[in-house]
Amino acid sequence: MIKVPFGPQHPALKEPENFTFEIDGDIVVAVKPRIGYNHRGIEKAFEQRTYIQNLYLAERICGICSDAHTTCYTQAVESLLGVEAPPRARYIRVIVAELERIHSHSLWLGIAAHEIGFDTLFLYYWRDREVVMDLLESISGNRVHYAMNTIGGVRRDISPEKVSMIKKGLDFLEERMKRYIEMMKTDQTVLKRTEGVGVLKRRDAIDLCAVGPTLRASGVKNDVRADDPYAAYDEIPFNVVTHDGGDVLSRILVRCEEILESIEITRYALDHMPKGMTRVRVPMAVPPGETVSRVEAPRGELIHYAKSNGTARPERYKVRSPTLGNIPALCKMLIGCHVADIPIILAGIDPCFACMDRMTFIDLSNGDEWVWTMQELRRRYRND
Amino acid sequence: MTKALSWARVKSPWLIHFNTGGCNGCDIELVAALTPRFDVERFGILLEGSPRHADILAVTGPVTLQVKDRLLRIYEQMPEPKYVVAIGTCAVSGAPFKDCYNVYGGIDKVLPVDVYIPGCPPKPEAIIDGIVKLIQKIKGKESRG
Amino acid sequence: MDENEVLKELKTRLGDAVIEAEVPRKRRIFVKVKVESFRESARFLVKELGFKHISTITGVDLGDSIELIYHLAYQGSIELSLKVDLPKREPKISTITDLIPGATLYEREVHDLLGVVFEGHPDLSPLLLPEKWPKGIHPLRKEYSLESIRKTLFKG
Repeated sequence: MIKVPFGPQHPALKEPENFTFEIDGDIVVAVKPRIGYNHRGIEKAFEQRTYIQNLYLAERICGICSDAHTTCYTQAVESLLGVEAPPRARYIRVIVAELERIHSHSLWLGIAAHEIGFDTLFLYYWRDREVVMDLLESISGNRVHYAMNTIGGVRRDISPEKVSMIKKGLDFLEERMKRYIEMMKTDQTVLKRTEGVGVLKRRDAIDLCAVGPTLRASGVKNDVRADDPYAAYDEIPFNVVTHDGGDVLSRILVRCEEILESIEITRYALDHMPKGMTRVRVPMAVPPGETVSRVEAPRGELIHYAKSNGTARPERYKVRSPTLGNIPALCKMLIGCHVADIPIILAGIDPCFACMDRMTFIDLSNGDEWVWTMQELRRRYRND
Repeated sequence: MTKALSWARVKSPWLIHFNTGGCNGCDIELVAALTPRFDVERFGILLEGSPRHADILAVTGPVTLQVKDRLLRIYEQMPEPKYVVAIGTCAVSGAPFKDCYNVYGGIDKVLPVDVYIPGCPPKPEAIIDGIVKLIQKIKGKESRG
Repeated sequence: MDENEVLKELKTRLGDAVIEAEVPRKRRIFVKVKVESFRESARFLVKELGFKHISTITGVDLGDSIELIYHLAYQGSIELSLKVDLPKREPKISTITDLIPGATLYEREVHDLLGVVFEGHPDLSPLLLPEKWPKGIHPLRKEYSLESIRKTLFKG
């Protein structure tokens, strides 16, 4: 059979993150993060490239939410240029962004299923996800790094034939997602491993400035699409999904229900897409200025800050990905948990890094210190 | 005995995967290659956890400074004969990151590479194709040796 | 409260501590304050006006000074960028982790990449840069070009 071990090889848990855990017996007492295994020095690289070259760089900050980065980037540059993408482009941006959200959440749900011990469910989620990958490929020509956004709009249109094809795909996904939600809510194994696990209280979620589904699963109703609308989100009605449990189960349910919301948003956008151009011509020179651009990436608030000095290259380009925003909250929810729950709690914030490949443990009762990989941790504690 | 072992290995290569600082795009396409839709199992390819049992090291990413030593350690732990596949343009040459301050720029700056699979990212079909080519290369070597 | 009202409140409370202020569009405010008034400004924004969320902290090397920009959000909606200039020779400023615990990693990041010292931060150990990173090289400072950093890292 197919063995899919997680750890250094884990798909979305790719880049090794370093955590030091201080434990007492079986309980985590303190967590110190030191991330950066995949720190590439991208912000410095932005300063050496032109605005057009930077579009390709921005896209490759992350292979799972690359559209969120290019949306954020093109919005920033458009703001510096004083131009706006035309209405039809703004709707297409929404459609691609929501399809990306569906693919990203499905990917994560598969991983969560694996962590819980449901490998068949992992395969179901990833097989269904292929439907979205097909839609993205037929719209953009690529499964990953769809390169739909350009400065001034989008590079491709969505034809009426594509519209009906997308809707068929969405109908299929919706029906399956509803079934999975029922399963997650009632299955005893799922509940045992996720209910009450990794709790993040609402107060802490706010003080620690958590973002995205992690924040919303602690009952905080913030979502950049609703609070600081961009693209065409101010014209599209939708619900911000929250749950009050603050535990891993809540984070699972928030993402499942967000997939359903994304399906609704995409349908609405397809039905109400205005006619017209998909991009505007933009001036070559970017005048001096600065701007802040925000989008709701699948993992949460993504923010770019851009400063131009009137030349072909940015003076400064700052990117803060949502996962970094959730690490303080992650550390908080790990305190007091059992060592065996570390993998699922870490996975619960849907990290955009491989994290946890290497973890240092310090046993406070006897001063022992050792390093485990995620693999080794799982092996010790999982009874499968 | 060696011939039998190598044939068995070629029948079912065990693959270990390591990301050296990439964007994850190649990694998710590699795992997608394992899902039923692409059915890489026909080739007997199995994703393995420990370097000590693996024949093929599949590497993604441009090799950041901080992972280089771990990459080397994983390679050293693999038994001979061992092979390296560079998946994705970052692994092939560093791609958009090759001048970044923290990046070596391509796997072959650090390890000998047997097969290069370019693409940003390469589709699952391309990844499988590249690995199958490696298997053929291995077979070719064995039948000569 | 909209962005114009926020700006009005700020100017009323901080007076001439405000060096520059701009509302370039809906839900965006840029304010630069004198460094001596930074603590008071941050406290006012966070505790009294309710800008409880920090999105991130940007550091910019302006040559003689390092500009810090604190990107604070009001109800996830209005994004206010609070700017302050620090002298390049000795860039230090009070931490705001006592006001917003969520700022902890952003201060560490700016410390790594630009060398700013956040006084009172519980743990300014390296966050992003690898263990082998040569001390004293803060890569986002303009005096280090990509090539010069690469040369130092990859020599031999």
